[in-house]
Order: sequence, then C-alpha cells, then structure tokens
Amino acid sequence: MMRSDVAARSSRPAPAPGFTRVPRWPPRGQRSRQPRRRSHLRWLRRLPVRLLLVLLLVIEVYPLLWLLLSSLKEDAEFSLKPLWALPAGLYWQNYVEAWTTGNIGLYFLNSVLTVFPALALILVLSVPAGFALEVMRWRGRNFVLLLFLAGIMVPLQILLLPLFTIYFRLDLIDTRWALIVTYTGFGLPLTVFLMAGYFKAIPRELLEAAILDGAGLAQVFFRVAVPLVSNGLVTVALVQFFFLWNDLLFSLTFISSDQLRTIQTGLLNFTGQYGQVAWGPTFAAVSLAVFPTLLLYLLLNQRVIKGLTAGALKG
Amino acid sequence: MQTTDDLDLKALLNRRQFVRLAGGATLGLAALLSGCGGESGGGSSGSGSLAIHFLSVQQAGTGWPLVLQTITADYARSHPGVSFTVDYIAQTNLYQKVQLLAGQGALPLLYNSPPVDTLLQLQKNGQVLDLEATFRQLGVLDQLVPAAVTIIKQLFNNQLLALPFELNIEGFWYNKSIFTRYGLQPPQTWDELVRLAGQLQQHGLQPFAASGIQGWPLTRLIGNYLFRKYGPEALLRVKSGQAKLTDPGYVEAAQAVANLGKQGYFGKGVAELDYDPAEDLFLQGKAAIFYMGSWALRDFNNPARNKIGAEAIGYFPFPTVAGGSGSSDQAPMNAGQTTSVNQARYNSAAGDWLAYVARHYGDVALQKEGAVTGFVVHQQPASVPALTRLVLELISQVKQPVLWFEALFSTKATTLSQQNAAPLVTGAMSPQDFMAAIQQALDQG
Amino acid sequence: MEQILHNRRAILLLVGPALLVYSSVVLLPVVWSLVYTFFEGNVIGGFHFVGLQNYRQLLSDAAFWQALTFTLKYAVTVTAGQILLGLLLALLYVFYLRRASALVRTLVFFPVVLPTVAVAQLFAKIFAIAPQYGLVNAGLALLHLDGWIQAWLGQGSTAFWVLALMDIWRAMGFYAVLLYAGLVEIPAELIEAARVDGASGLRLVWHVVLPLLLPILLSALIFSINGTLKVFDSVLALTGGGPGQATTPLTLYMFNTAFSYGQYGYGSTLAMALAVLSLLVTVMIFGSARRDVA
Repeated sequence: MMRSDVAARSSRPAPAPGFTRVPRWPPRGQRSRQPRRRSHLRWLRRLPVRLLLVLLLVIEVYPLLWLLLSSLKEDAEFSLKPLWALPAGLYWQNYVEAWTTGNIGLYFLNSVLTVFPALALILVLSVPAGFALEVMRWRGRNFVLLLFLAGIMVPLQILLLPLFTIYFRLDLIDTRWALIVTYTGFGLPLTVFLMAGYFKAIPRELLEAAILDGAGLAQVFFRVAVPLVSNGLVTVALVQFFFLWNDLLFSLTFISSDQLRTIQTGLLNFTGQYGQVAWGPTFAAVSLAVFPTLLLYLLLNQRVIKGLTAGALKG
Repeated sequence: MQTTDDLDLKALLNRRQFVRLAGGATLGLAALLSGCGGESGGGSSGSGSLAIHFLSVQQAGTGWPLVLQTITADYARSHPGVSFTVDYIAQTNLYQKVQLLAGQGALPLLYNSPPVDTLLQLQKNGQVLDLEATFRQLGVLDQLVPAAVTIIKQLFNNQLLALPFELNIEGFWYNKSIFTRYGLQPPQTWDELVRLAGQLQQHGLQPFAASGIQGWPLTRLIGNYLFRKYGPEALLRVKSGQAKLTDPGYVEAAQAVANLGKQGYFGKGVAELDYDPAEDLFLQGKAAIFYMGSWALRDFNNPARNKIGAEAIGYFPFPTVAGGSGSSDQAPMNAGQTTSVNQARYNSAAGDWLAYVARHYGDVALQKEGAVTGFVVHQQPASVPALTRLVLELISQVKQPVLWFEALFSTKATTLSQQNAAPLVTGAMSPQDFMAAIQQALDQG
Repeated sequence: MEQILHNRRAILLLVGPALLVYSSVVLLPVVWSLVYTFFEGNVIGGFHFVGLQNYRQLLSDAAFWQALTFTLKYAVTVTAGQILLGLLLALLYVFYLRRASALVRTLVFFPVVLPTVAVAQLFAKIFAIAPQYGLVNAGLALLHLDGWIQAWLGQGSTAFWVLALMDIWRAMGFYAVLLYAGLVEIPAELIEAARVDGASGLRLVWHVVLPLLLPILLSALIFSINGTLKVFDSVLALTGGGPGQATTPLTLYMFNTAFSYGQYGYGSTLAMALAVLSLLVTVMIFGSARRDVA
C-alpha cells in the first residue's frame, strides 16, 4: 500500500507543497528548471528514508505510550477491549495499588541499594584490573584476560545451586550482600574486558612520558590513566546498570523476605497462584520502575556516546 | 574489547594452565566444603516463643496466609511470643525454592507442598510431618473433612502429608442463559457433550473456554475421560505399571479431547490463552462452557469480573463415557495447592498452635474468604453466596472423589503433559505421541 | 620505566581483588557444577557418582537435540537481525541524520530499558488472536486477508518468529549505538578520499566502512551471540518454551531439569554443553576474523 502511494506521488508533476521556494526571478528557460527538478528529485529520493524513519519512531515510541496508557486501565478493560483502545477513564487506582499493595516504592529502594553498591564495586575492582591487564607488563596476562573472557560465556542458571550453598553456609541468604556479591562477580568479566580496551586506547607515549617525568605508578594511574577513561566508566556503568536492574533469577533465588525484594521480583507480586495477572497495577508498577531509568539514560546519553567513542570496544 | 592481537588462542588450549586452574579451584571447593560442612540450620527454639514461617505461593493478606494470620492473632492473645510470617514465592518458582531450602535444611515450619516425588524424598530426610499421627495425638483428627483426608492420602502414597487449606470440586460450569436461549440441556454422556458443542458452534458461540498456556484445564478432560471409562483406578493402574498410557483405551481419551480441538470447539486461540483471558471468555458470555475447579467461585462471585451474573452460572458433572465403568458421582476433587509441615521444625509449641489452627480454620476461612476447606465448619455464617452453597452441597453428595490426570505422575511427566496439551488440541501433536511422551517420562523414573 | 610497569606487588594489588571476587563467585561455582556432571540426584535425595552416564544420556536425549537446534536457530537468526539492523541504523545515524541523530538514537535505545515482562506482554497482545484480535490479526482482517489470520504464538513455527522479532526489536538500538560509536571514529578524510576515488553508496560501505568497522563489529557479534545462545528471560516471559517444547532453548531445558525435575547432575551436564557451545562459537568468530585480517 505504501509503495503504491509513493509511486502515485512520484508521477505527480507539481512539486509537493511546502518544498517549493518562491523563486526570486521568474524562471528563465532550462537553466532554472534543472535545479528545481533536482531538489524535487532529491526530496523524492529521501522520501522512503523519511517514511522509514517515521515508521521506526512509531515502532519505538508506541510501546512506551501503550505502557503508560495501559497503566491507567481497569483490569477488565484488558480482556474486554482491544489492546490499542484508549483507557475508558484515568484509573489512578492502579498507581495507588502499585505503591501500597505492590509496595513498589520499597522494592525500588531495594533495587537501588543492591544495584548501586554492586556497580561501585564492579568499577572499583575492574578499573585497576583493566589497567594491570593492559598497561602493566607481566607473564600470564593473556591467560588472566582469557579467564575473564570465559566468564562472559557461562550460563548463569547453572551457578544457582553452588552459589546458594555457599551463601547459605556463610549466612548470606536473604541479605542484600548475596545480591551485591553476585552482581559484582557477574559484572566483572565484561567490565574488566571493556576497561582493558579503554586503557589500550590511551596513547602509550602519554603514560611513558608521565613515568619519565618521575611520576610513580599511583600517580600515573590516578592522575593520568583514570581521568582519560572517565567517559568509558560511565558507559560501562550504564551497560551494567541495565543488566543488573533487570535481574530476576538471582533475586528470586537469594531473597525470600518481602522487605528485601527488588523491583523485578516485586512485579511478580501481581501474578496469582493460577496464573491470573492484575495487569493494571502491573503496568503502573512497570511505569514507575521504567521512567526513572529512562530519565537516567537521557541524562547520561551524551556521555555514553562519548564514552563509546572514546575508544571502547576497539582492538 | 580486545580482539585478535591480545587474545592468544593457544593459551586457551594450554593444558598446563588449564590443569593449574582446575586444580586450584578444586582445592578451593574442597576447603570450602570441609571448612563449612557439618551443622546446618537448627530447629525452632523450645516452648514459649514460636516464630512460624510459611513458604507460600499466596501473599500475606490474601488467601490461606490471611486466614492463618487471623487465627494466629487470636491465638497470640493467650500465647504471647507467637509470630507468623509469610515468605512469598511465585508458583512457578516454588519447586526450585523448596529444593534449595531443603538442601540446606532451611525449610520453614509450613511450606506449600512440592510434587509427590519431591515430597516423598523430603519425607525420607525427615522434613515432612505425618499429620495423621500428629493430629490423632493432638486430638484434632476429627477436625478434618473425611473427603479431604481421602484425597490427600490418595495423592501422597496413602499418607496424610499435607493440610487441606482448600477443598475443591471440579466440573463443567455453564452459562444458563445461553442454554435456555437455544433450548439446550446439560449433557449426560460424552457423545451428548460433543453434540452439544456442535450445536453451540452452529449458533456462532465458542463452546468451551480453556487455557492452553496452563495446559491442565485441557488435560483434566483427558483424566476425567479415563476415570469415566475405567473407573477411579484408571491412573493408579498406570502408576503401578498394569496399564500404559499408550494402550488403545488410554489413547482414546487423548483422541477424544483432541477431536474437540480439531472441531475448533476451544476457539482459535486456545494455545495462547492464559488462565484469566480464558475465564473471561466464559464470564463475558463469549464461551458457553468452562471446565474449572470451584476455587473459581472467588471470581464468579465478583461482579467486576463476572459480567453474566452469578445466577446465570450452572454446574454439570463430567459426563459418562459409553461402555465405561465410572459414574458421574465419582467427582474430581482436590485440596488445591496443599501445605506440608516440616517435621524438623516441629515441637510441642508448634503442635499447640497447629491444633488451634485445625479447630478454627474451617470457620475463619468460610467467614473471611467464603472459601470451602478440608476443615470442619462449626458455625455456618448467616449469608453464604448461592454458588458457594451449591458447591458445599455438591461436595456433600460426592460418593467417591477422584484425582486428576497428572496427580500421580512424576514432575517431568506432569510438565510434559501440561506443555503438550496445547499442541494436542491444535493438531500439532498426535494423541499417540502425546501419550507416548508422558509414558516415556514415567518410565524414566 | 620498565621497573614500574613490571612491579609485581602493584600488579597483584591491581588485579588480585577482581580476580579473587570473580573466581569465588563465577569460576568456583563453574568447577563445582562440572563436578556435578558426574553425579546423579539432587540436594534433597543426595548425590551419587555415575561416571559418564550423564554425557551418554545427553547424546541420546531427543529433547536435548531439539533444544540445541532451537538455540542455534534462534541465536543465528536473532544475532544476524540485531547486528544487521543495528548496522543499518548506525549507518542511518551517521550518513543520513548526522547531527540530528541524538533524538532518534535515544528513542531507538528505549526498549533496552523496558522490563522483559512488559515487552513480552506487549508482543503477546500485538500477535494475539483471542480473546481479542491483536494489532497484526486486526490489520489482516482489515485487509481481508482472512486466510492469514492465525494464532501466531500458538504454533511453534510462528512463535519462533514472534520471539525472534521481539528480541531483535529490543536490542537493535543498543547495537546501533555501539556501532555508531565506531562509525563516528572513522576519520572523515578516509571517507572523503574514497569518495574522490569514485566509491559511493553500497560500495563505499562495503569496501571502506565495513573493513574499518570490523573490530567493533566483531565485539558486537560476540556480545550478541553470547546473549542469544543464553536466552532465557524473554522465552520464559513470552512463550514459556511452548507450545509444547517448540521454543524451549537449552537454558530453559536445563533450568527445568535441574530445578523442576530435580535432576541436578543432568542439568549441570546440559549447562556444560551450553558453555562449551558458547566457547566454540566465540573461538570460531575470533578464528575467522584472524584469517580475514591475515
């Protein structure tokens, strides 16, 4: 349908409105017609891309809109009305329920209290490790790097039983520490790898010059190397953040008391014993959980791009 | 990320390094095991204070937890120091959680029962209390409804290993208004049921609402067909090995249900329908018949969900099968998701509390939740919804309760049965293959 | 200088803590699980040694081969989709939108942030046939293509594509940003020079841009394939592995085997098979890249 539309337009002789500029001088012969046709053609050539772009934006933005609208629907509307129907009224009750029965505020806080310490630990541990693996000279460097790479491939489901046993013996089950430690351990391989890449992108002469100037290792690390990878830090932290924030399996396994539950497990609260789901409150809870993270991304967006361009992920 | 320059692939295959790594880690493991082995989570403290934990798939403030909270609050008035906490776990993760906790000796006093095979293993480890002996000793065995005791003993190898916090009867619920409009009668036989479905479809209605995602609403039909055909022992014979699911008579049951699907009687979307939308099809008058347990009364009695009205809902038992030895007063019943008691945490203080719960559970549950349970009711509340009254009456008429299709299966066979139910009714899997897959899982263990 | 960079104490201090945490949280449990593959049983009933039986069972287990086939098919499809669409988007950002791309980049990135449960619910609703037609079936009805209306998630073949579509949609924005970062770094003079030499359009992309982008492309590929080989959440949320076992990947089969069926030893064996598979694929990608470069 779309294609025939385009074809119809392309056969239309007159340029589309809004794109013709009033010529200053009356057109004179062929010389003036040519640029006009060319701009017309260029516009047409760009039309498919533009349409594609519009389609892309619809595909990307509509779900968010749908999420918001769904969070204002009454439960019955989900089965009675089609999915794209607007809510019959603004059913704010869902948010009240998400906040009170769903306890989403508490779960949000719990997520923050586990994810951010883990993020901090990941960075504190992996920045020096990346530095050692890329800048320092030692035997076994490749092997250790490979060990970390292997960690990226491990399916995490298999570690549940050993980890549960270890944490239980250490009395860590049902504490935030169980999650923080696990998140840290799992975040390390990828982060160490990425950090090593960032350090590699720093021109070696820069570091060598600092050393020749008499700087000690600590100074080279803190004064020269770390500032140069600061954008990368933000990027890595963000990538890890999304991964950890969405964790379901670990928090389901290691946490049993309601007081410590994180946001993803909290969302399960709206699912009943026989598979019934209270969709209204669920979507309200999802909205409450998603929009802060979106905001965070928007705030950090520019730095992330900078971080990625700063030489991450490059050989 | 590092790429070709830095990663020496040969290092990957360097045996010496690998051995060093494996050796190191194994040593660590051994040290950990020997260092921390031995003691595991102790039992609850002596008499006086009692902290009861309940690993439950229902949340605090709802269902059984609410009833228990209410009773415990009462009890705590005369027994200070008694507390009750719910550890909620989603149904889909219950087995995993029970396994992990049991492996560490950390199961709480009360926990929702895992499937039979797991529960019997737990019993060997001393983590399941035999409630028949316990209740007799506590003098409260008469607080249990006999039918509930029968059901649970059928389920758990002839032992009372769980508490009947629910007592449900299953059958076909139908939309009376639709039946009246087209002059239809509840069927007595399977053939009548099939004919009835055809008539409903001709009138442009979807005959049955069923959830293919859950699967069990479909396999329930297979099981009941077998009970009608071979009598209440139908599946016991499979368990003992006297019969195989691949025997022609058993495949016939799967074929009968598959045929309903082939005619489109479950609607086009049965394979992707979840529990709620399926129930809504019935409660919004789009499907005429709904096979379900009486726990669904909670929704039937809720005007927000039920758009056809509670008075428009009728019940008919699973029909008989031509030439079958079963009869329709053998009703499929269950105790819902049951709850077991951890023997390792049980002591006299817990016993006092348990006896108190046994005496009050039936009354409190009926008053608070309108729920029918396996505990004796002493005081009928003034007003009971009509449908609830109907269920109480139906249960009292049951001559012999029967279980459901997967009740005696291993967990793996149960999972396969419920997962394959949708392909069976959409024709993606043949009845022979369906039964063979389950039988194979049963043979494995 | 050499002394400073060779300082063993410093190296230990720098890399030691990370290695320690990583070893105890990831490596130790992996070895632990490796040990389980020679045992049968579970934590409740106890374990006993069975030698290589689990590995023999693996070879003759039809469900394992089905899950493996699905996993490979899914991983190849979704990785190809994520990387290709990511690349196209990145090219769009750089060569078409140029400076105006920030907004589009951000919007396309959004789905990464959404919880899996919500995304799965959305896709289930879009492709629904009951109790209401979803967007797709309603659209087909509107076009009078009634023959095409079907239970998209109720059949193994179509459910696969819905699942693949969902995961491509979710992650393409992420890979687009990743590849965009690489494209931006390519010196403009190189592109200009190629243009002067007469390269344009596809040829420019194929002969000039892609070779320069190769290292990042490779990393993206490895990220993606390792993610898709281990797909779990989205399957669980969208199809639960069904209908039947049509969309059950190795991870889900392993999880069920270990935690639902209580066969921990065999579950660990399945996990090892998956880890080995991931490793092989990664090594293969590295290997082929090395050949290309050489």
